[in-house]
Amino acid sequence: MLAVKNIHKSFGSNQVLKGIDFEVNEGEVIAVIGSSGSGKTTLLRCMAFLEQADDGIFTFDDLSKDIRTISRKEIKEIRMKMGFVFQNFNLFRNKTALQNVMEGLTVARKMSADKAEAISREMLQKVGMSDRANYYPDQLSGGQQQRVAIARALATSPEVILFDEPTSALDPELTGEVLEVMIKLAREGTTMVVVTHEMEFARNVADRVIFMENGVVVEEGPAKEILSNPKEEATRRFLRRILREEEKEQ
Amino acid sequence: MSDRFFRIVRILVESFPKLLLQCLKITIPLTVLSFFFGLILALILALVQVAEIKGLKQFARFYVWIFRGTPLMLQLFIIFYGLPSFGIYFNGFVAAVIAFSLNLAAYNSEIIRSAIQAVPIGQSEAGYMIGLNYFQVMTRIVLPQAARIAFPPLFSSLIGMTKDTSLASSITVIEMMSVAKRIAAVYYEPFWMYMETGFIYLMICTLLTKLQADFERNLEWKQPEEVKEAMAAVEADNRAHKFRWRDPGGKK
Repeated sequence: MLAVKNIHKSFGSNQVLKGIDFEVNEGEVIAVIGSSGSGKTTLLRCMAFLEQADDGIFTFDDLSKDIRTISRKEIKEIRMKMGFVFQNFNLFRNKTALQNVMEGLTVARKMSADKAEAISREMLQKVGMSDRANYYPDQLSGGQQQRVAIARALATSPEVILFDEPTSALDPELTGEVLEVMIKLAREGTTMVVVTHEMEFARNVADRVIFMENGVVVEEGPAKEILSNPKEEATRRFLRRILREEEKEQ
Repeated sequence: MSDRFFRIVRILVESFPKLLLQCLKITIPLTVLSFFFGLILALILALVQVAEIKGLKQFARFYVWIFRGTPLMLQLFIIFYGLPSFGIYFNGFVAAVIAFSLNLAAYNSEIIRSAIQAVPIGQSEAGYMIGLNYFQVMTRIVLPQAARIAFPPLFSSLIGMTKDTSLASSITVIEMMSVAKRIAAVYYEPFWMYMETGFIYLMICTLLTKLQADFERNLEWKQPEEVKEAMAAVEADNRAHKFRWRDPGGKK
């Protein structure tokens, strides 16, 4: 459904992505893991065209294009079928939770306000935020904001939702409520690409895990296989380190 | 001694309505018109810079450079005394409005530009990801937030403008300052006359400051009642502990 091929991206002389191939099938939950600076967030942002990749082929449904020649109009059409959840939520600060969720429906998709509100309330219900519909982002906790952000991404019924480290900016005690929502979505068959440090989530929810290091995909495969029986030394090293950190936290 | 005192009181009382009238007739309209046009022009100058429109962006930078880099008095003189040598004549009031608007536009455009740039980039990114276009992101997300950031410094600029209109007296505009000068010359009591004029300026600015405070309160995003109550409680608590910028920990 969604695929990128041979993605390259540099920031100045710093080559962040060195030819990434990557495919998402419908209904699949993919966890992208790797240490900081491995390029996983950049990969996700390139897939949403929040960063312009230097080279590569982008495929979404029946559209397949060289990333350098893709037009603004095509990008907009792709984004209409895509959801994105940011690390630091990025809820519109001048709008209430409900208005945040409605915005994509009423403004970008010209839906009537009544219909949009009904859908939006349903989405807020789904993430357990109905009682905060009229609150502004500043009045919500990080976990609550992220749940509203997920509702906002869901409202436009995207074919795929990209999550950029959705729990990294949260206090440890707040990550649970967000992960719970994400697990629920995964169970319902939502197609998701999740850049994450939550190994527990990757292990239990993801169908496939992709391990990145230094701008390349080192290893990919079924979640259980990669996480419990990695073939590459780099993957093993990373998992050992993560495991140690998790133990330290507990 | 007491004769002098009563004389001064009489002059002040007699001149007060004259000053106030000129203030209402000239100073305030001059300020309002200049600020209005200056704000519109400033918004355009800021937007072409933020949108990085080639040519226009460079023009805006050049414009700001010129109008911030030369004295306001000189700009007034060029428009009123200078342009006639090219056959362009304005009466004093119009010349003043033009000069003040152009000058304000330079300063205000910088306020607006920095306010727009102070809106986190993630706000726009989130807008694009739900399918909004550039125009929608600007008008629905970025500008409303920028307006809130720009409001206090823009109001400062308005207060500044109110006082700068006194410069118009130098190009034959009979505004409050010119009237004060005349009365001062007639009765030879410059100190008290200028004190009185200063008092009127001060009153206008006090009013504006009050207005700003009210506006800012209304700029708060509308909140549900229960949150409003909670915020009011916090505010009351803050008032109770006056010197809040001090490190709250520890004992004296």
